[in-house]
Order: sequence, then structure tokens, then C-alpha cells
Amino acid sequence: MAREIVRTNALRSFALVVVLCAAWQAYAQDAKGPYPSMAPLEQYLMADRDAEIALARSAAPEAISRDADVLVLGRHGYETAVKGTNGFVCAVERAWMGPFDGDGADNFWNPKVRGPVCFNPPAARSVLPLTYKRTEMILAGKSKAQIIDVLKAAYEKKELPPLEPGAMSYMMSKDQYLTDNGDHHWVAHLMFYTPLMDGAVWGADLPRSPVMLNPQFSGAPEPIDVFMVPTRRWSDGTAASVM
Amino acid sequence: MRWEIVRTTALQAVVLVVMLSAARPEQAQDAKAPYSSMAPIEQYLMADRNAEIALARSAAPESISRDAEIWVFGKHGYEIAAKGKNGFVCIVERSWMAPFDDPEFLNPDQRLPLCLNPPGARSHLPLTFKTTELALAGLSRTQIFDSMKAAFDKKILPLPEPGAMCHMMSKQQYFGRKYGNADPHLMFWFPKTDDTFWGAGVPGSPVYVHQYSPQPITEFIISVSKWSDGTAAPTE
Repeated sequence: MAREIVRTNALRSFALVVVLCAAWQAYAQDAKGPYPSMAPLEQYLMADRDAEIALARSAAPEAISRDADVLVLGRHGYETAVKGTNGFVCAVERAWMGPFDGDGADNFWNPKVRGPVCFNPPAARSVLPLTYKRTEMILAGKSKAQIIDVLKAAYEKKELPPLEPGAMSYMMSKDQYLTDNGDHHWVAHLMFYTPLMDGAVWGADLPRSPVMLNPQFSGAPEPIDVFMVPTRRWSDGTAASVM
Repeated sequence: MRWEIVRTTALQAVVLVVMLSAARPEQAQDAKAPYSSMAPIEQYLMADRNAEIALARSAAPESISRDAEIWVFGKHGYEIAAKGKNGFVCIVERSWMAPFDDPEFLNPDQRLPLCLNPPGARSHLPLTFKTTELALAGLSRTQIFDSMKAAFDKKILPLPEPGAMCHMMSKQQYFGRKYGNADPHLMFWFPKTDDTFWGAGVPGSPVYVHQYSPQPITEFIISVSKWSDGTAAPTE
């Protein structure tokens, strides 16, 4: 999920982040800054269930999200609020789906973050389980280091599903809250999940390339790369800002 | 899809084209229609080799295409004009890479620059080369269609590799009379799958789809906001 403001002039820092992410395990610690640790759970929840459903659906155009499963976050994890028919799953992710360390990690415990996303069927089967897993451990009060260890072990034991080809998601909500800065949202975009690879294979993060590599997972520890392509409109059809 | 303008207003036309693509192309053999037969080969060639190299490179931002391998089209097919080092391949495709039912299938004016990433180069370029070989051999549209079907049936041609994609962002690209320069876009190839796999082709979706026929390939297209030179593309 895009937790960073990734503007063209920041692309070089992305490459640095990827490098840093590969080495975070040895010293991962909760970030200093405004959100050094988990806030009370209530701050991460949305009191209005219908509002969370609407926010989740806003991640994709209505033609997709109206027939999607919709998840909402409760005290014990995500639960299905609406059953869908098209295989897509929409949810509002929280800050802990961002990178554990490096650029953007200072947002990891930010209780205001709301990341609406709609996963296509392959991503719902093979990426969404990561959301469940991280969230489960967060709600159990685990530290970043503990979560990382559990995720690594889960992959080694093949308890998490392998990434499916074609896994992708929509993140086109105008109401996304990804940062305390500015207007809080990034650009409308799509995300594509691949096995770990050199971002250059997609021409990512090079000057004027429309493709960016998100450091969300990047092998730290999930063995998944996330490529992002901005779209020209928000899910409601209004024009999105151009990068 | 490279032969449809990826514009919201063209969506219905895209759907129509996809539906029509399922049919064999006999109806397109109307001799009275323009581009119903191959024009003299010279009309498909670019006299200035350096211009073709530059056009091929313009498919992607310079940061990608400057290190790409470049192929140019000659009387006997494509040939390497510049060796690359980043695994990308840039090439200017001709009109016969359009859907078989495209009225401009043999329009000699079409120039379709694209830069394929390494998986795309490995698995999609053979399709380009094979189709071009058949066109240069003077086969009719129907014959090319049948040959391509046989090639995939016999697994002579590869299916798209995971992650196969390309940049198609040249401001100088020309899709023919109907679509002109279209939009800058990215294309992603998969072994044949449903339109809904990526939520393509529904109102408001930024993803468009082209179902190849007879090739068992699905192409998803995402319009981007800028041409490869960094200038803004027309508003959708």
C-alpha cells in the first residue's frame, strides 16, 4: 500500500529504501517520531461500520466494488461485512500494512491512516492473507520484531499462500488517508504484486517512468514486490492529480 | 490495447472490437475497402534508419530506452540496429500487429513503437516476428490468422511470461485514421484470461482489455498521464 508520498523527485530515495529494507531485520525497532508505538485500539477502529464499508468500496470504481466482498476491522480482526459475487475483496487497511522500517515506517503506528484497497481475485487469495496475518499479530500486541519473525517463519513453513500470477489491486479512493501531510492522500493508483525482482524489469523509479516500486513488502520480510502505476482518475471519475 | 484509443469514450468501441475479434476475418477481405490488401513493401518501411531507431526509443522514457536493444524493420523482417544492456527491446510494429478484423490491418502508415520489458521481449516479440514474416511472405489476412492459430496450437509460439509488459508512450505513435496518436499507455500480457481478472472494461475502470484472437493472449492496457518525453497527454 502506498504509505509514502512518492513524487518524481523522491524516486531515488525509493531505491535507497529498497536497499535498506533488505537489511532491516538486524535492527528493526519501533520508529521514533509522532507514532513510536501502538495507540489504543479504538483509535484504529471506525465507529461507523457503514462508513467503513463505503470507504472500502471507494478504492475501486463502483462497477467493481459494488459486487465485491467488503471487510471491516473489528476488535478481533477483519470480518466480512458484505458478501460479494465478483471475487474482488475491498478493505480499509491500517498503517501497519506499511513498511516496518525505512522511509514511511514512522507512519507504522499512525492510527489515522486509512488505506482503502480492492484486491482482484488472485490478490484476494494470495496477498490479502498478509493483511490478515499482520493485523492478527498487531491486535495480539506483538512488536514489529515479533511480527517480522512470525512472518518469516510462516513463509518458511509455507503457511502463507504463494503469490498468484496477475495479483493486483485498486487504490483509487479520494478519501484515502495515507499521511498526515498535505491533503493526506497520495495519487489514485493500481498496485501489481510480483515475486521479488529488480524493479528495473518494469522500468520502475527511473526518470519519467510511470511505474514505481513500493517498499511496502520488498522482502522485508514478505517476498513480494509491489509496483504502482498512477491512474488518471479517482474511483468516482473525477480527475486525479498528475505526477 | 494498442489499436484502440484508451479513452473512456472509446470503451464501447473496444468492447465491440473484442467481440468481433472472436470471428475469423473473412469479411475483412472486401477488396473495395481501403487497406484490404498489402501495399508495396516500401510504404511500410522507414527510409531513414536513424529515424526508426529514434521512433522506437520514443516508446519509453529515455531512462529506459537509451539502454534498450533496438530493432528496425527491413525488407526481410526485423533486424537488430542497436545492442542494449538493460533487457528491454524497443521496436516499431506495423499494422499487421493489429487485430485481424481491424479495417486498417494493412494500413502502411501505422507506426507503433513499443519498448518491451525482458519477459515481454522473450515472450511477445516472437509473435511480432512471426506475424511480420507471414505478412512479408504475402499471406492474406485469413492465411496469417490460420497460421498463427496453428502456431499456438502446436506451441511453436510462447505464451506470455509472468510480468510481461511494455511501454507505449510515444507521442509520435500512429494507430491509423481512426485513433491517431491515441494515449500513452502501458500494456500487460497474460495467457488468455477473463476481462474481469483485472476489473477491465467496466465503467470507471482505468484498465482496458484486448482479447487476442486467435492467439490465446489477453492484453490489459492502462493509460498514463504523460508521454515518454514528460509532456502531458491529452485529458481523457
